[in-house]
Amino acid sequence: MTAIFVREVRSAFSGMMGWLLTAFLTAASGLYFMANNLGFGLTDFGYYTLYQTSFVLLVYVPVLAMRSLAGERHARTDQLLLTSPVPVWGIVLGKYFAMCAVFALPCLADAAMILALRALGCTNTALAANFASLLGYYLLGCAAIALCEWISGLTENQIVAAVLGFAALLLAFLMPSLRSLFTAGSAMALVAFTLLAAAAAVLAGLRSRSLTLGCILFAVLAAGISALFLFRGGWLTGAFSGVLEALCLFAPFEKFVNGSFSVPAVVYYLSAAGLFLFFTAQGIEKRRWV
Amino acid sequence: MLPVIEVSHLTRMYGPRAAVKDLSFTVEDGQIYGLLGPNGAGKSTIMNILTGYLAATSGTVTVCGHPLPEEADAARACVGYLPETPPLYPEMTVEEYLRFAAALKGVRRAGRKAQVEKAARRTGLTGVMPRLIRNLSKGYRQRVGIAQALLGSPQVIILDEPTVGLDPAQVIEMRRLIQELGKSHTVILSSHILSEVQAVCTRILILSHGQLAACGDLASLTAGHSSLEEVFLELTGGEDGAPDAGEEDAT
Repeated sequence: MTAIFVREVRSAFSGMMGWLLTAFLTAASGLYFMANNLGFGLTDFGYYTLYQTSFVLLVYVPVLAMRSLAGERHARTDQLLLTSPVPVWGIVLGKYFAMCAVFALPCLADAAMILALRALGCTNTALAANFASLLGYYLLGCAAIALCEWISGLTENQIVAAVLGFAALLLAFLMPSLRSLFTAGSAMALVAFTLLAAAAAVLAGLRSRSLTLGCILFAVLAAGISALFLFRGGWLTGAFSGVLEALCLFAPFEKFVNGSFSVPAVVYYLSAAGLFLFFTAQGIEKRRWV
Repeated sequence: MLPVIEVSHLTRMYGPRAAVKDLSFTVEDGQIYGLLGPNGAGKSTIMNILTGYLAATSGTVTVCGHPLPEEADAARACVGYLPETPPLYPEMTVEEYLRFAAALKGVRRAGRKAQVEKAARRTGLTGVMPRLIRNLSKGYRQRVGIAQALLGSPQVIILDEPTVGLDPAQVIEMRRLIQELGKSHTVILSSHILSEVQAVCTRILILSHGQLAACGDLASLTAGHSSLEEVFLELTGGEDGAPDAGEEDAT
């Protein structure tokens, strides 16, 4: 795993990509820092710089992660990795930590900006809040990187990986606004969960190559959901609302920006990252059997 | 003596099509095996399964005493593999790449430099160590691929078409290297070039349509025929690229 980590970091900076991405993100933060924090004399780095520039991650993270697994498959170098004694989780984690290390560089630049604010006379409380926001920002980035690494593992084409990654992050970014469209009532929840059940049944049917299994699974799930709708409508809406909330990747970061150190948010980001990395490893293993 | 590789009733399906069907053979230590077959016979599929890149649909494979897929990681540590396309990173130098490959195979940090130098020497790469792989010619890239397969001193070395793209002098070099490797490792190589297989291999496996058509040493195979070519054409029915034998690449 360490060998893969070192190789990935070196490789990111041997071409233009690592330098370009780091410069791009640092420039974005730096611009907002200069205009807001320095220009208006505001000490809140978390809100005026990090929060305002979090949309830049929508482009930065997919481009950072697009090459990680898709590139290996395309160049056939995955045969070297997958026929070595390194376990699949070692490959996935090595690449993941390398990308997190590359992302840490613009975050170090952000830390320097925060220290500059300190030198200019901001209070210690403000300093602590700023660093807490930076930590939240870093964790947000790491969760997004895990998502995009999973997406990169789904395809051989790097551009497709980047576009899908952007789409997924955009959905997560907009989800808080989209949620309000969905709180109309349990009917919407019923429809959504039925669609999910259909998708799950189709997947199960395809995997097991059995139409019967797919149909039975759908029938069972649909019956269960309808029962919930009829007898416990509130649960269904609550559950649906909960699922949508979990998809808001950018929302927990706001808790850090509002001046509180939120442990649930940290747990959320770490579990989201863990979940996507698990899916990535599973996806790679599955391909051996197909 | 226990065979190094044991394959029993191996089947690999790609959807409805069987690339390899009910294949059984053993590989003994200290021999150089040649895997022959027309396009689409299943050679690359078998090599990918032996190296753990693909999983078998059914049947058992045991490499160096480790059954796949239960002890896949231990089995992979015993095998050095050169795939059809050498898995090279163009942005690395030869030395960096070989060090990386050595680390992947679990070579201890202390011994990495020595192993890399030894592999480079055996494959004639000492002169190009600081060069970027993207700037190397095909022949040199092939050599880097073979050097990578030697790292970690694996018991089994599997080479998929090792001399493709090499010039005549390099081909002779490669044959000499394979013969030298055969003294201390078990080598399995696949090739289309019958003369090469005849010159280098001690045992031959002929595949046709995913099944084993013949297995044995050169003398017993060619007994009663004029040449290996004749045996080959007879056993494989003389097809080349028959429509239903298109081998799906392991992607």
